[in-house]
Amino acid sequence: MSLKNEEAEVIIKVKRYTQEKGFYWQEYKLKVDRFTQFTEALRRIKSEQDPTLAYRASCHMAVCGSCGMKINGEPKLACKTLVLDVIKKYGSNVITIEPMDYFKPVKDLVVDLDDFYNRMHKVKPRLYPSNEVLEGKAEHRLKPEDQKVLWKFAQCIWCGLCVSACPAVQEDPEFLGPAAHAKGFRFLADPRDTITEERLKILIDSAWRCTYCYMCYNVCPRDIEPVTAIKKTRAFSRLAKDKTEVIKTGEKHTEAVHSSIFDSGKIMGSRVYLSTYGLLGSMKEMIFLMQSGKLKYALVKEKAVENIQEVRKLLRG
Amino acid sequence: MEKLSYDAVIIGAGLAGLMAAHEISKAGYSAAVISKVFPTRSHSAAAEGGIAAYVNGNSDPNDSPDYMAYDTIKGGDYLVDQDAAELLAYKSGEIVELLEKWGALFNRQPDGRIALRYFGGQTYPRTRFVGDKTGMALLHTLYERTSGSGKVDFYFEWFAWELIRDESRVRGVVAFDMRNMVPFFFKAKAVVIAAGGMGMLYRHTTNSYIGTGDGYAMALRARVALKDPEFVQFHPTALYPSDILISEAARGEGAVLKNAKGERFMTRYAPKKLDLAPRDIVSRAIITEIKEGRGFPGGYVGLDISHLGEEYIKERLALAYEAAKTFSGVDATKELIPIRPAHHYYMGGIDVDITGKNPDVIGLFAAGEAACVSVHGANRLGSNSLLETLVFGRETGNEVVKFLQSFTEPSSDIDKEAEKAEQSAYDIVKKESGVHFGDILEKLRDYMWEFVGIYRDENGLKNAVSEILKLREQMKNMYVLDKSKVYNTEFYNALELKNMIDLGLVIASTALNRKESRGAHYRTDYPKRDDQNWLKHTIAYLSGNTVEITYKPVKMTKWKPEERVY
Repeated sequence: MSLKNEEAEVIIKVKRYTQEKGFYWQEYKLKVDRFTQFTEALRRIKSEQDPTLAYRASCHMAVCGSCGMKINGEPKLACKTLVLDVIKKYGSNVITIEPMDYFKPVKDLVVDLDDFYNRMHKVKPRLYPSNEVLEGKAEHRLKPEDQKVLWKFAQCIWCGLCVSACPAVQEDPEFLGPAAHAKGFRFLADPRDTITEERLKILIDSAWRCTYCYMCYNVCPRDIEPVTAIKKTRAFSRLAKDKTEVIKTGEKHTEAVHSSIFDSGKIMGSRVYLSTYGLLGSMKEMIFLMQSGKLKYALVKEKAVENIQEVRKLLRG
Repeated sequence: MEKLSYDAVIIGAGLAGLMAAHEISKAGYSAAVISKVFPTRSHSAAAEGGIAAYVNGNSDPNDSPDYMAYDTIKGGDYLVDQDAAELLAYKSGEIVELLEKWGALFNRQPDGRIALRYFGGQTYPRTRFVGDKTGMALLHTLYERTSGSGKVDFYFEWFAWELIRDESRVRGVVAFDMRNMVPFFFKAKAVVIAAGGMGMLYRHTTNSYIGTGDGYAMALRARVALKDPEFVQFHPTALYPSDILISEAARGEGAVLKNAKGERFMTRYAPKKLDLAPRDIVSRAIITEIKEGRGFPGGYVGLDISHLGEEYIKERLALAYEAAKTFSGVDATKELIPIRPAHHYYMGGIDVDITGKNPDVIGLFAAGEAACVSVHGANRLGSNSLLETLVFGRETGNEVVKFLQSFTEPSSDIDKEAEKAEQSAYDIVKKESGVHFGDILEKLRDYMWEFVGIYRDENGLKNAVSEILKLREQMKNMYVLDKSKVYNTEFYNALELKNMIDLGLVIASTALNRKESRGAHYRTDYPKRDDQNWLKHTIAYLSGNTVEITYKPVKMTKWKPEERVY
């Protein structure tokens, strides 16, 4: 066995920031090998070329979540990204590094994560075990298969990449964001937890505000799939009390999609819309569609699929 | 200077610091945790393989806390304080159960109880784990618990710089808010140093970038002793070439070390324990294989886990698999993982007793890797460090509570001292031109690796001491290019370097003094352990350029030193 090594000269363009100067670009040239992580490239820039460059990094093995940034526009952990891989992927030795989107810049690649931490703390990210367990009168047992499911969502390293990449977070201040939902679901689904009702109050309305764009799924360096956590949280919707308009609409929409598929094997857009938003809401929308010349799409007549019985069998599971 | 006042200030937000803070705040005292990083970024997150524990009713039926203490003492080559090892072993079960209650997602047996596996130097398997991200799982659990009470004030991305003391007792800490460089004097009745390790002193380390030995150096400057500073652990299986840790859990699960000739070379070095011999022994074996020409080109050997099967690997050794793939381009389900030893852990630390109390300064405590209790002696067994952070973090927290209960307010004013400490930080970098921290840092890391590493001898160590002294002199010409007050990491890197050099000097000097081989301290010129002369703890103070070394006895309870064979 011998590891293949290759070397390359790379130009790293860093989007820097100070309060006084605002944003500006700076270039650094350095030699990297097949194994050079971006955190190591940055460390070398800082200790060999330019000590003024500010960035965060700690574990360099993708478990601490310090080094979230954009590399050639992609939200990444710098430690988990090899310089040579990026050169190959983009066919260029010039690479850009920028701070994460959405968060306020502090200095160079360092952004203010207070907003992120507030989101995480909102979901009460800790187990509330029963008093019997706390007092030592009972013990927890957890099935290995439950442990596996929970552990998947518990591995969030609070890096903030998913929130920085999430369009719904930017549009909707009531949406908790992907990471907080992953964390929230990890405790909502834990059979050892005792505050389910309170968790539903925190999570369900927000869960229906996700737009399912899958950006969080794409950027998560730990493959947590926050969007999957949100889907699974929605499944708890029927247990929620005092339902908000968002929850009611969400449930209606799901119901409408389900019955549309049950009847026809397809999602009949206009029919789903009508059942979700009611006649009045849909008519308002029709006017908007007419104005933008898209009404014809809403009026397409769809035929049910053949073998609808097969579809229904699938739906029933 | 701005001032804040707390009953207790804890430096470091890893497992030990959080556990101490939890106990102190639970008792109704005000506690501040100061950390260079957000708590979940602490180095505890990087611990992988597990936490050792004898759990009543859920352990190997032949096992007992006494075996556990014995394994720890033997693993530490009899430099372990035996009362500390017993406490560690006897409290291990309850600490794991506590973390379980708080929601830690330990891997389970089919009946729902916590699972266990083998680690190096264990007579019976007793390591509890969460995949191979145990540290991360426990750190998140504990941070989430501690932050939920609302009783602990977190100052994260704050740089703790100097301990403030008077003649006899600790009075607080001077720290900088890294976002704007404003210095604060945290007045405190008690201070707990839980600032972790010092891996950045070495060219090759599995540690986080933040491990720069700040806690040790802060103690040294406050005229506090370090215990056993010469004992530095090297982990045998760091991924080549990035030095990312491949957990000992791999070998616990059955991985085998192989040289370039395909031989299972551990048969030569530890015929009974083979790949599961303690870390010092395996590290030296690997270096010997490489030196004698049986390594792969570039200088590494292979770790074979392929026979464990893809599914098992991806569940129990996910991080090892992922790291090998991402960072070395190797598919561990089919190929050998390229590994070599790298610095991993510091057995030495701030001198404390089994309650976490330091004998030099009243009100000063230490826990976790920053402390030397001493429970690891000359060599730490795998999965004892997570255990230590929690057991002794809690013991220390409780001792701080006792201390606060009988606390009497000192009358003397100490504000001037705090201002001097602030000035001392700026003094390091007051020049307008000269050298940058990087010029000195890289040399220090090479000297430490070269001369104060896995194999040591008189010439090398003497060389190290004199070179480090030169670097210490050069540091007087250090300056900072970044004049901004906002998140000025260059300034803090310069302070870290000062910490690293002070500590490096102490390590090299005490290693030069210890003329024997014991655990991780291996002298090629004195290859045998010498109980007659050296069965004692080193106690080192730093005074100017002089390292003042004394010794104190090891605490023995029921285990007599015997030859350490595996």
